[in-house]
Amino acid sequence: MAPERRGRAVGRRTYLRFAGAATASAMLAGCLDGEDPDDPDDVADDDADPDTDDADTDDDDDPDTEDDDASVTITQGQFASTLDPQDHRETPTDNVILQAYEGLLDREPDGTIREGLATDWEYIDEQEGQVRFEFREDVTFHNGDEMTMDDVAFSILRVVDPDVGIVSPQADQLAGVVDAEPDGENAVVVTSDGVNPMVFGNFASYCQVMQESWVEEAGDEVGQDINGTGPYRLEEFTEDEFARFVVYDDYWGDEVEVEEVVYDAASESSTRVNSLLAGESDVVESVPPQDAPRVEDEDGTRIEAVPSTRVLFMPMRNNVEPFDSLEFRQAMNYAIDLETIIDEILAGFGDPTGQPTLEGYVGYNEEIEPYPYDPDTAEELVEESGYSDAEIELHAPAGRYLGDIEIAQAVSGYIDDLPNVSCELEQREFGSLADEILDGDLDTSPEFFMIGWGNTTFDASQTIIPWFGEGTATQAFVDEEVYGLIDEAQNEADEETREETLRETNEYLNEQAPWVFLNRQYSVYGISDRLDWEARQDEHILAKEMGLQ
Amino acid sequence: MSLARFVLRRVLQGLFVIWGVITVVFALRFVTPGSPVDAVAPLDASPELRARIAQELGLDQPIYVQYVDYLFGLLQGDMGYSYISGTPAAVRVFARLPATIELAVAATLVALVFSIPLGVISATRRHKPADYAATSFSLVGISTPNFWLGIMLILIVSVNLGLLPTSRRPIGLLPALELLVFQLEVTGVRTWIAHMILPALTLGTYFTALIVRLTRSGMLDELGKSYVRATRAKGLPETLVRYKHVLRNTLIPIVTILGLQLGTLIGGAVITEFVFSWPGLGTLVINAITSRDWTIIQGSLIVIGAGFVIVNTAVDVLYATINPQVIYD
Repeated sequence: MAPERRGRAVGRRTYLRFAGAATASAMLAGCLDGEDPDDPDDVADDDADPDTDDADTDDDDDPDTEDDDASVTITQGQFASTLDPQDHRETPTDNVILQAYEGLLDREPDGTIREGLATDWEYIDEQEGQVRFEFREDVTFHNGDEMTMDDVAFSILRVVDPDVGIVSPQADQLAGVVDAEPDGENAVVVTSDGVNPMVFGNFASYCQVMQESWVEEAGDEVGQDINGTGPYRLEEFTEDEFARFVVYDDYWGDEVEVEEVVYDAASESSTRVNSLLAGESDVVESVPPQDAPRVEDEDGTRIEAVPSTRVLFMPMRNNVEPFDSLEFRQAMNYAIDLETIIDEILAGFGDPTGQPTLEGYVGYNEEIEPYPYDPDTAEELVEESGYSDAEIELHAPAGRYLGDIEIAQAVSGYIDDLPNVSCELEQREFGSLADEILDGDLDTSPEFFMIGWGNTTFDASQTIIPWFGEGTATQAFVDEEVYGLIDEAQNEADEETREETLRETNEYLNEQAPWVFLNRQYSVYGISDRLDWEARQDEHILAKEMGLQ
Repeated sequence: MSLARFVLRRVLQGLFVIWGVITVVFALRFVTPGSPVDAVAPLDASPELRARIAQELGLDQPIYVQYVDYLFGLLQGDMGYSYISGTPAAVRVFARLPATIELAVAATLVALVFSIPLGVISATRRHKPADYAATSFSLVGISTPNFWLGIMLILIVSVNLGLLPTSRRPIGLLPALELLVFQLEVTGVRTWIAHMILPALTLGTYFTALIVRLTRSGMLDELGKSYVRATRAKGLPETLVRYKHVLRNTLIPIVTILGLQLGTLIGGAVITEFVFSWPGLGTLVINAITSRDWTIIQGSLIVIGAGFVIVNTAVDVLYATINPQVIYD
């Protein structure tokens, strides 16, 4: 039976009104904790549309009211952990807040930098890392106040300077930036601690602009409300459950087709898929490959898949045996049949990789091919390494990345099939694995593990530096030559020369095989046919880019 | 021992258990790898910055100081602040509690509505098709994992038949009742019921199966006793014998199990909540574990543990009250 949009057992307006009631309950709970419900900054829906809060509205049994037609529900695997755009580092949180907050620069779906709040950007002094952004003049925050250059400078400093408000977990994403100051009525000058070739790329991916006075007034409640400049303003919000946005009438940019967007979450993937098939959601993320045909076969739904900015790999710590041997590390790469893994486990939703940098990124080396499947060569290399009969253990998370544990099982199986190596798989809870990797101590990391890395800057350095730079929290490979190449790239102001250095770094890393190179992860979305939407590489789901049929 | 002294003793025992739960849950963080600092620090954080974050989170204090601070905080209703969202943990935990309690109670009601009649039928029609059907259901119900059952129900009832929503809880029971009472709006209650049916069935199936077995064996036990022969010899109608005398005596152990299971349901609804995106404590705990949000994990586990103790204490008291044979000891 093909599900029509009859699946909305509750009209959307009814749902939202009820959710409003839930918000009221949450407010009550807040009062018990001593917070002031009358404080305009305490809750998001103080200026709630009376149409939605009023109980005696239209026919609630009609699932397809006129309002529903321009409303879109997006279901993620995880909900936003906060509404503070600078106090998190998760894509699901970005997806919610980027409906309302905007950055200095923006990106096209394919990653190309485009105008954001800034219309012009240029180097003042490349060697000193000083740049100037010029801003549009018709920008207002959702509370009606005009955006000022002080707000922009404050927002930048709030990310990079722990003494301005918060210790932002995004500080490393604007690495190098040390100061920001208004320059006249509509420009801001940003200063770095030397050459900063990534500065525009970083600002195209990070640092949303917040209003200084609003942030200071909101205090601890800044993560519970939104006052952005984007095309949608927050109408209702229930922590951990859902956020509803409506069109912001005074938006500086083009009109949007989707008038209302609701974000919620379902951790279980089959629940998300079923929610789409039942017509309760319009976009669901992370559709498991095995469910993709079910979505494609249903009338009214389809699959959109796009290579994401996330790469999966298995670092091998080269400060321990047997991974200190180049031959052994290369052997691990020759031992696995990556093409088969992608075809069988990921149903083709993945691209094989042979270098840390993804195709389309600055510094990607197109001459490098993934390691071929060659178990005989792998066996010989293990013999050459002197670590014949080595016993190794692969630590891998389950449920964090598309097909992660299945891929790990396959890799461990391929390696174990070598006659002179035995490999065991240790399935790990992601949090504990991440803790061991991120604690800044290389020696506490597992010797061989699986991880994924998202890099939305479209620049090789933001993968290479964290994993190969000296002393970073995620460093898993120690090599003086890579340090030199990184230094060279980071201190090179000329774009072409820098890109060549990054290509060279990728070539070197391919030869050194510091990882078992795996696949570029795809973002696989289930989408209602009533939406026109081109999925983005950076995993952002932006309602402003959606059209309605 | 008087009832009051019995209750006082049980309450004190309960408080001792809750303190034990708090201590174990607090200690858990220190025996798991990593630090909460990892969850909030930038990847390139310097040792100085990490130390500063640890200081701000109070993690630079000796463990016993942190423990005493935590206990005093709990006494004042303060469970700390979420490391990830920065919001008070107590507010987030208690905001989730109603959804879990609603689900647990609804699952219990489902179990009672189906299990006792099935158990009675099974016992009074022993070795007949109805008995075989009830015992088979019981066996299947006990053996079926919640996770699988929930997904199957969603697939068949929601996706294929389109009868009920797949997931979520757009309105809680109290707001739904408020709408009904103050605005004569029935849609709220109707929506609440529509969203509750599948999760309650999923969570209640195991419980139903358990009580069917309990009722059946209890009834069979009682039916063989001499007072039943006496009531029959007295000429009482069979219905009265079964329901007034036999079932009533069977209910005593069922009430005990009910109480114990309600506590288990509050803690054990995790999988059902996960499958149905039910915004209760279970999903909160799972999400908090994923993000290593220790204050939320600790707060949720303490509330679940305390809920279990409270329900068990209440059942003990109720049991002692309804069964005159129980001695307050």
